Amino acid sequence: MTDQVSDVTNEVTLEELAALMKRVAGVNVDPARLREQADAGFDTFGLESLGLLGIVAELEQRYGRALPEQTERCKTPAEFLSQVNGALRKGA
Amino acid sequence: MSGREPRRAVVTGLGAITPHGLGVEALWKTTADGGSSLAPLQREGCTGYPLRVAGQVRGFEPAALVEETFLVQTDRFTHFGLAAARMALEDARLAEADLDSPYGVGVVTAAGSGGGEFGQRELQKLWGQGPRHVGPYQSIAWFYAASTGQISIRHGFKGPCGVVAGDEAGGLDALGHAAQAVRRGTDTIVAGAAEAPLAPYSIVCQLGYPELSRAAEPERAYRPFTADACGFAPAEGGGVLVLEEARAARERGAEVRATVAGHGATFTGASRWAESRQGLARAIEAALAEAGCRPQDVDVVFADALGVPDADRAEALALADALGAHARRVPVTAPKTGLGRAYCAAPVVDAVTAVLALEHGLVPPTPHVTDCCHDLDLVTGRARPADVRTALVLSRGLLGFNSALVLRRGDATGPER
Repeated sequence: MTDQVSDVTNEVTLEELAALMKRVAGVNVDPARLREQADAGFDTFGLESLGLLGIVAELEQRYGRALPEQTERCKTPAEFLSQVNGALRKGA
Repeated sequence: MSGREPRRAVVTGLGAITPHGLGVEALWKTTADGGSSLAPLQREGCTGYPLRVAGQVRGFEPAALVEETFLVQTDRFTHFGLAAARMALEDARLAEADLDSPYGVGVVTAAGSGGGEFGQRELQKLWGQGPRHVGPYQSIAWFYAASTGQISIRHGFKGPCGVVAGDEAGGLDALGHAAQAVRRGTDTIVAGAAEAPLAPYSIVCQLGYPELSRAAEPERAYRPFTADACGFAPAEGGGVLVLEEARAARERGAEVRATVAGHGATFTGASRWAESRQGLARAIEAALAEAGCRPQDVDVVFADALGVPDADRAEALALADALGAHARRVPVTAPKTGLGRAYCAAPVVDAVTAVLALEHGLVPPTPHVTDCCHDLDLVTGRARPADVRTALVLSRGLLGFNSALVLRRGDATGPER
């Protein structure tokens, strides 16, 4: 568990997503590129559906709560972070 | 000239990860020298069981050969498969850029047990920490079909793919299936098998096989066809061959190494070794018939060589049944006594070795075996130079599958002599 989580805002950042993509799915992506192409499909970066499922599971463990089912069906980083952070804010 | 020549499957590339080393050169060098890589099983978590000797792949750094995205979602057996497939494709000089269409290349592999090490790790998380700690890749990594899928994804191949579940002999059946796919219209098939059964869970599964050798000394653990045969030593590793349609291979200037001329397969039941005589003989006859070869055309036999007295006797008799008097004259070898049996990968590595034997004009010997108590000309001690043009590769599985494959040197178009 080396990824840093911003406890204060309780938000998952693009940098954290990049780190999770690397650790869970072995996908190397520069956070800057992820930010630039936040509306591109996850497949653009080489992340497939099982990898996203693994990232959702990681976040659920980290925050100790279930994320909405549609989270694992998000197509882009922007959509995913908005979904995850929305759910975390709601639950806070 | 009448019509077009029939489509034939030829071998244009070889790849292997074996206890002898990484790559085909390392395999051939030790095999031709009659060397052995059997050793005490000392891998972490694998000691203290009645299995003492195995053929372990050493110096294999998955991260150096396979991209991280593939590593995280695959077991060691698929790492072997991916590495061997890339070697075979490079050997065939079949870079992705050469392909007219990704639909023209398919992948066929066989595996006996799948990803035991990966599966054990995830099941330990399941029972140790709970279901939410099981990673999503457990759903695909353990599966014996994983190597076919991952090889095709990695190289972008979109042609007909397949997975053969046919026991240990499935390795040869994968090559037979691939040759058939080439004849039916696909120009290239990447075919082979990989296994990684030297992990704790997988070892415990194998302890139920009465055929498994319990011997503690590497030089005594696997000695088929001798009076001291006491079972087989298992091994890990993988072998892959690139099969191409003969004319397509010629047109792109590929070197044709051998022709997959015939294949036959039968089933005679688990551990019913006496009955495997008839089944194996029938498989040999079917393979020779498809190849258009007579018994006396066979220049070398790569034996299954299980190392169980009843099974060894059945194999010797099957050869006599299928080849007649020629069975006593043809050189027979079992280089796998220096490697161990890597289940489905064992006969594929034998096929790779057979292609090299045809090319080098050299029949490699059977390590650890000095005395043969059957009516066979078993090559022992040193490799034997011979003008070998046709090789017969045999395999039987512990669960009763028997297969035979006929390989012929170069681009063999019809009956020889």
